[in-house]
Amino acid sequence: MSQDSVIRHPTSWIPPARRAQAAALAFAFLALTGAFVTARWLEGRAGDGAERLEPIFFPRAEILRPALLGFTGLAADLTWIRTVQYFGGRMEHRERFPQLYQLADMTTSLDSHFLDAYLYGGLFLVIAKQYPNAIAIYEKGFAANPTAWQIPHDLGRLYFLELHDYKQALHWWEITDRLPDRPHYIPRFLIRLQAKTGHVETALELWRQLLERSENEAVSEIARREIKKLLEEMKQKPAPDSVLQQSGQGAPHAGPSPGRPQ
Amino acid sequence: MSRILTIAEMAFIEAVRDKILYSILVFALAMIGSSAVLVTLSVGGEGRIAKDLGLACITLFGVFIGVFIGTNLVSREIERRTIYSLLSKPVRRAEFLAGKFLGLGLTLAVNIGVMAIGLIILAWALEDHWTPRILLAVGFSLVELLILTTFAILFSTFSTPTLSAIYTLLIFVIGRLSADLMQFASQFGGPSLKATMTVLYYLLPNLARFNLSGAVVNDLPLAPGTLALTAVYGLLYAGAVLGVATAVFQRRDFR
Repeated sequence: MSQDSVIRHPTSWIPPARRAQAAALAFAFLALTGAFVTARWLEGRAGDGAERLEPIFFPRAEILRPALLGFTGLAADLTWIRTVQYFGGRMEHRERFPQLYQLADMTTSLDSHFLDAYLYGGLFLVIAKQYPNAIAIYEKGFAANPTAWQIPHDLGRLYFLELHDYKQALHWWEITDRLPDRPHYIPRFLIRLQAKTGHVETALELWRQLLERSENEAVSEIARREIKKLLEEMKQKPAPDSVLQQSGQGAPHAGPSPGRPQ
Repeated sequence: MSRILTIAEMAFIEAVRDKILYSILVFALAMIGSSAVLVTLSVGGEGRIAKDLGLACITLFGVFIGVFIGTNLVSREIERRTIYSLLSKPVRRAEFLAGKFLGLGLTLAVNIGVMAIGLIILAWALEDHWTPRILLAVGFSLVELLILTTFAILFSTFSTPTLSAIYTLLIFVIGRLSADLMQFASQFGGPSLKATMTVLYYLLPNLARFNLSGAVVNDLPLAPGTLALTAVYGLLYAGAVLGVATAVFQRRDFR
């Protein structure tokens, strides 16, 4: 038989074991491609991303805690990441945030010292315009971390900027002022707020004290400007300190905050 | 003492030759490294997420190493019948177990040390400052793992490796829950249940005491006296379980 008449398979030079290996790899590649296509198809059917992020079931933290075998910090981190994704996903789709408070509450219940969860959780709730829930998160955070100045600071900011409740803002910034490592601008905030809440004479005195103490020219300049402004205000109307004291509104309200969730 | 150290050295060499150890170590380091990706999904708390995940990985993978290697250390000697030649030499059974325990303890220390270095480097990269308190949490994790190791050795003196691994994992779960069980009993149980739970609470290891990750991650103060007493408690408890293991091993007949 001549050599030309022998019909050879194009892959006959590959050893059989190698052929089987190549076939298995080809099959794996095809199956993976199929799985990818199916996954994409399923994603298309599942609706938008925000819906898929929706948490369905929230067990109580006290019940969940023993099942975590001490890894509560890690569980709080994972819940927090879920909170951020939930907020981000719904924000992107301009939707409401019905479970944002539950997620933030769960995170902070699993780890009561997770400072960023209180601060950003509160901020997210403020952005979602859920002010009573934001207050609840901040107050919970302050109860668990009474030396963290950031929490009363942010709560004061919520009262000042969003709710325009200057007495409550003053109350929380006064607390901030007493805490270690608080920012340098807090005393100036306090003085301005004293003036806003009607304590013009007190505010004037506090600005004068700051001017005396200050070794920074910029701060001194701010103090001089504020003193001048207050003096002009006092010339135009009688000092309201005495009026407020007479009507019993002098001290900032320190009881439970209004609008707390029941 | 030299006999114990020789057995410990041999146990360490045997353990580091085990391929499963490297698989666990590589997987643990990959998990710790993966937190660098996970933190990109978060807003705030990036450093603490990496530390929490890293410390959890160190404990969990340490448990796996302790269980899988610890339960095999004694049973393998019996299976290969090398125990006969070993015990025919002037080596006491107590020395044999103590050596095995020290060897495995060293293996664990080296492994979680490598994981801790990985975690410290990652935390430094994320937070831009050195966090030596991680080492404190890792140190107490090691004490917790040493207690579990003694249980693994105890179970392997009278049971099969699979059953020993299951029992040891159950001890880890019970040990982490013992304080909660006590609390549940005090809230819901009657006087007899309370008394039973109190006995069990002191009999079983309270492994939750060695979990410092919450305090380290949140930078909470830790009382040095409490830490010292916790370490003493851990070492005494490990010693007690090793004593029971020796008593059981003494009675075992190798004919």
